Amino acid sequence: MVTQHLVASVRREPAGAVLDLRGEINGFSQEALDAAYAEAEAKDPEALILNFEEVDYINSTGIALIVGLLAKARASKRKLLAYGLSDHYVEIFNITRLSDYMGVYPDEQSALSGASVS
Amino acid sequence: MTAPSSGARRTLADLGIPSEPGNERRAMEEVARAVSGLGLPERTLERLKTAVAEATMNAMEHGNHYRAELPVLIEVSISEADLSVKITDEGSRPPAFPSETPDLEAKLEGMQTPRGWGLFLIKNMVDDMNVTGDEHHCTVELILHLDGRAEGDN
Repeated sequence: MVTQHLVASVRREPAGAVLDLRGEINGFSQEALDAAYAEAEAKDPEALILNFEEVDYINSTGIALIVGLLAKARASKRKLLAYGLSDHYVEIFNITRLSDYMGVYPDEQSALSGASVS
Repeated sequence: MTAPSSGARRTLADLGIPSEPGNERRAMEEVARAVSGLGLPERTLERLKTAVAEATMNAMEHGNHYRAELPVLIEVSISEADLSVKITDEGSRPPAFPSETPDLEAKLEGMQTPRGWGLFLIKNMVDDMNVTGDEHHCTVELILHLDGRAEGDN
């Protein structure tokens, strides 16, 4: 099986910056995630929204990278939200308690609505 | 595919996975293929795959130090009572799992490293986990109890 390295792109929405993630989130993903986060943060959005719809695998190293993003967002007082996780990864976000610190939504519309709530 | 009766254990797969970064996905997909005939519920299968991936990644990294010529050995077997996945590397016990329970608040405050989720995930994904080993090998056994896990159950 060929590892699908993460590809991350950023788009602006009125409620915040959306990071569209595609591939796997694992030990190879730090550079792509950090670059996308920096690009997203450049225009000082109130919220950063991670789109996991095209992510099919997250391992424990990937969880650590998401913890790192959450720490950065918290330090700069930005909301970090997520949507598009499979049921399995929603469960993992629950047991790791990531979902206690970042809103987890089923789709983009609900995530953008969540980002708009102060 | 049905489980063997009267306490007998049947091997479903014997795998050797080269210790290369990213190969934990290959391990989990091959284990998923080996158990595909058991009719495990989707949620149970996804949990098993995550546990296999994490245990294999730990074996490749800490046991075999990502030396591709040292395979991680995986044995999948079934009895009437349980499904077992044994993951063996060439490290010596104890395994290199961190003993610290991950605490997200502590990680966010920089009091714990952001890493250290592997063992925590494994323990939460399967019913039991046993670790055995000697000076030359370490085996992590993942166990799913099959009682009541018919198709469609969670």
